[in-house]
This record gives sequence, C-alpha cells and structure tokens, in this order.
Amino acid sequence: MSVVDSQTPPQRHPLPIEDASAWILRGGVICSAAVMLMGIIFSFVHGRTSLDRMKSDGFDYRPAVIWQGILRGHGKSIIEAGIYLLLLTPILRVAASAVLFALEERDWLYTIITLTVLLLTLAGLLWLG
Amino acid sequence: MGPTAQSLVWLSEVAAASFAGGIVGSISGLGGGIVIVPVLTIFLHIPIDKAIAASIVSVIATSSGAGAVYVRDRITNIRIAMFLELFTAAGALVGAGLLAGHIRPRLLDVLFALVLLFSLFPVFAKFGEELPQKVQNDRLASLLKLNSAYFDKRLNQRVAYNVAGVPVAMFIMLAAGLISGLLGIGAGVVKVLAQEIAMKLPTKVSTATSNFMIGVTAAAGAGVYLRRGWVLPYLVVPVAVAVVLGAWLGTLLMERMSNKLIRKIFALALAVIGVQMLLRGLGVGQ
Repeated sequence: MSVVDSQTPPQRHPLPIEDASAWILRGGVICSAAVMLMGIIFSFVHGRTSLDRMKSDGFDYRPAVIWQGILRGHGKSIIEAGIYLLLLTPILRVAASAVLFALEERDWLYTIITLTVLLLTLAGLLWLG
Repeated sequence: MGPTAQSLVWLSEVAAASFAGGIVGSISGLGGGIVIVPVLTIFLHIPIDKAIAASIVSVIATSSGAGAVYVRDRITNIRIAMFLELFTAAGALVGAGLLAGHIRPRLLDVLFALVLLFSLFPVFAKFGEELPQKVQNDRLASLLKLNSAYFDKRLNQRVAYNVAGVPVAMFIMLAAGLISGLLGIGAGVVKVLAQEIAMKLPTKVSTATSNFMIGVTAAAGAGVYLRRGWVLPYLVVPVAVAVVLGAWLGTLLMERMSNKLIRKIFALALAVIGVQMLLRGLGVGQ
C-alpha cells in the first residue's frame, strides 16, 4: 500500500486504478464476445434458429432461467450470459475503482462518488426496469 | 432456402452492416451507436426500438475497448470521469427508464436524426483548443482535485492543465446521459463538447475521458432495456461483435491515412443518412 505524501497532488503518480480499469475493460469485452459467439454456435447445433424466433425472442433477465438454459445447452441462454458479462464489465470497473479509491488512495470523497455511480448503474438492472 | 440458411444470411447481413458502421463511426469520430441505428433501420428494416436496444449494449463493448487503451496510456482523467458519471448515469436512467417506451417510433426517428446531424458539426468546425492556455480551476474543480497532467506523445512533453466550468458541464452531462438512454448511443460528441468548451480540457484528455465514461452511461441505460426484455439477444451478437471489429479496423486505417478530407467525406455520407431519417420521421416522401 502506498503512503500518500500530502504535498504531492494525488494524480501525479501512476494510479493502480488505471491499470485495473484497463485490464477489466479489455478482459470483459473479450470474454463476453467469446461467450456470445459460443451461444450462436450452440443455437445452430440445437437447431433452434428459425428467423422469426431470432427476430422476436427477447432477453430474459432472470439469472435462474438463464442458468437452467445454460445447463440444457440452450444457445440463447449462453448469449444472455454473454450480454450480462458485457453489461457487468463497466460496472465491475466502477466497483474496483471504489475499492482502490478507499484502500490505495484513502480518498473518501471519491469513494463515496464512485459508490454512488455504482448504485446508479445497478439501479436500471435491479429496480427501474 | 432452409430455415438455418435464412437465419445465417440474416446474421451475416446484420454483422456486415455493423462492421461497416463500426469503421465509419470510428473514422468519422462519431462512435458506433449513432451510425449503427440508422444503418439497421434504413438498410435492414429493423424496427428502431429494437435497433436502439441492440445499439446501447454494443456501445458498452466499443467504449470499453477504446477506453482500455487511453486509460493505460494515462491520458484519461479518472476523477473527472468518475464525478461526471454521476450525471451521465442519472440522465441515462431518466432517458431509458422514464422516456424510452413512451415515444412513438416516428418521433424517435426525428430525435435521432437531429442528434446525428448536430453531432456532425465538430467534424467541420473546430471547437475548443488542442492545448487551452490560462485556464483557472473553478471552485468545484479545486474541491474535487480535477486538475491533472498527461504526457503528450506528439509534443513529447508533459502537459499540465486546469479545469473550468464544472457546473455547466454537470448540466450538459445530464443531457448527454438522457440522450444516451433514450436513443441507445454513447452521445460521445455531447460529452466531448462539454469537456472542451465548458471545462476547457485539452482535446486528447476530453476524447479519452469521454470514451471512458460512455461504458458506464450505456450500462446504466442498458440495464433498463435488459430488464424490460427490449433487447433481442440474436440481434445483439452480430451487432456488438462486428461493431467492435469495425471500430478497431477503423482506428488502424485512421493511423495510416491521417487525412482530414476522408473524415469529412464519411461525415457527409452520415449527413445524407441523417436527412433520410429525418424525412422518414416527418413522413415526407413515403
């Protein structure tokens, strides 16, 4: 853990927040793309791919339903998991920043700001939708 | 044609259109979403609400890919991003949660076309400055420690900068979030304008920071779209994957061309699409 010198502005030395963010963003996008493409392949293997269904089947957000679908090898459920991964990528980046602002920077103002952003990004998914 | 072949053709069409959209979005500097929605609706006849829902998910992918590069190079101002995300995320929740779903498709066409045409201005007229001089921190900027420095590779020197106009920027970011949540785009142009004109940030910092913020803004709006079942999973995959690949190729092409004329040609093509969308929304020529 770094000791912050009060004379030095906090941004003038490299922040681990930046490296953590870069890793999370890149890793999240690559993982979600891989999972989504796997879902497409599974859809064709199982032959559940009529054009009408593709153009009308909506996202089912319930994690339990998605999990059941994955266990049965349903392509659509695998795609939905991939979409969740993509959505969680920036959210995870915000969560990691909150932890690092608190532990590494000991910057409580930004810890609170970051936690509020985290709450806002989750609000749509958990309550508002 | 069998059902499987039909589906494959459709997926390929969507992927090809999105790939092209990713290239155009990246070269024109407008971003993926604002190009993808008109391309999907005009050329592939996908209903605009479905195109918007797929776009807002794919925007997370494009912004995260580009965001990772800038933040690694220490150009992104994390504090500015974190603070302003309060307002873009809140705006996105209002746009997606309260407005989207209550606006008729024709009006969405008109709103989208207006935002697209407005976004083209910065391609033709330069706002802000590469390196603004004599900027004083305002009170909020000092309180929030927003001033910072980055290393400019082209100038080969460290550039320190101050930050002005934070209250105005907060207001514009709320609007940027609302547009993002309602129209399924990153609204990067609005974010960049707020940061360059109101906050007087150097161009590179505002581009990098805006890109970094787009992912969180889009995630806030996309959560609403997902939970309401508005997102079509089979539309999202070809759109998201192809737009990311297209944007990546566009960046590579840009590095080789560095020709402002090409950027303007792409922007003119987008203006034609914007006008077409506006006319469709207004019910002219149908």
